[in-house]
Amino acid sequence: MTEKRRRTGGLLKIMVLVIALFAMIIVSFIGSEVGSGIIGLRPISFLNVETPKYNPAPERPFHKIPVTNTMITAWISILLLGGVFFVGTRNMKLVPSGLQNFLELIVEAAANFIEDPAGEKHGRWFFPVCTTIFLFVVANAWVSLIPGFETILVNGEPLLRNANTDLNIPAALAVVSFCFVEYWGFKAKGISYLKTFFHFGPLWQAIKLIFSGNIKAGAGGLLNGLVAVFAGLLEILSHLIRMMSFTFRLFGNMTAGMILVMIMLFLVPWVIPAVFYGMEAFFGFVQAMIFSGLTLGFACAAVMEEE
Amino acid sequence: MEIWITVAKLLGAGLAIGLGAIGPGIGIGILGMGAMNALGRNPEARGAIMTNMILGIAFAEAVAIYALVIAILLIFVA
Repeated sequence: MTEKRRRTGGLLKIMVLVIALFAMIIVSFIGSEVGSGIIGLRPISFLNVETPKYNPAPERPFHKIPVTNTMITAWISILLLGGVFFVGTRNMKLVPSGLQNFLELIVEAAANFIEDPAGEKHGRWFFPVCTTIFLFVVANAWVSLIPGFETILVNGEPLLRNANTDLNIPAALAVVSFCFVEYWGFKAKGISYLKTFFHFGPLWQAIKLIFSGNIKAGAGGLLNGLVAVFAGLLEILSHLIRMMSFTFRLFGNMTAGMILVMIMLFLVPWVIPAVFYGMEAFFGFVQAMIFSGLTLGFACAAVMEEE
Repeated sequence: MEIWITVAKLLGAGLAIGLGAIGPGIGIGILGMGAMNALGRNPEARGAIMTNMILGIAFAEAVAIYALVIAILLIFVA
């Protein structure tokens, strides 16, 4: 008897919660700009949200000083990461506990993730850059999800803004990733890494064969040689286009997330945006993983020995 | 004349994201199908399938994001 009553009591609680949630959603929709526009009057004026406006370029809160708000956010996330790692590793113990344990968890997971495809020797090269990119991107994405983040106004402009929504920061990361991939390629293969781009070997051999009188074999080799040269030139193009694709993937995802949250806040100011905040947290993590994972993948392709 | 430029901008932005989302949508559908098939055949490999599926989806989604960037540029910058 008591068991049954307790169960119905639990059910009642859940039902009350669900009804309250629905009521909040409906009230917030009615109170929002759109809902009050449909009804024609403004019953709940404190829920009115201004029409969202999106600026592609980052704003400058201090007009005279050329410091954009995305730069300030990037500095904050750098300081945050540095501070957390400094505090966590200040007095390291052999048996970790607390913060040190957590940091070791992150670093170990990253090391496993990198050494799995790259092997131990190359994994040690890739580890610092890939992990730093991952941590920086994920810190930028998650710092900007703190409630009230974009509401601090200085001179009418927001003081802080998600650093990944400034095209410059993904572009800078993409250039860093590109430079390191080429550097690792040269480090692993020496000057013969250039063969990836300028592959004249087969063509040269075919020409030699033709001039030494073996025309039939030479003509077949000539085609293969031309294809190899063309493939090398395409490789140059693909390395350069990769940078743009890196940039726009991160920038686009983060900007789309920002606009989505803005529009949901405009449509339904309560409850529903929380779902999108959770989604943004997940997407920030996934994009960071993809940025560092792709750097890792291209680096592996660059250092791989060709047979 | 001014209004026609605005009309063209809005139409172009809508078409860019609308048409640009078709391909990635199909791609993500195929990816999800492949992942479900793999999961049905080999339920123990759940973690690996999940990770690779999310990576693949992010690749497919990137194409839609390019279209979105074009749409944003058309509306706000052009």
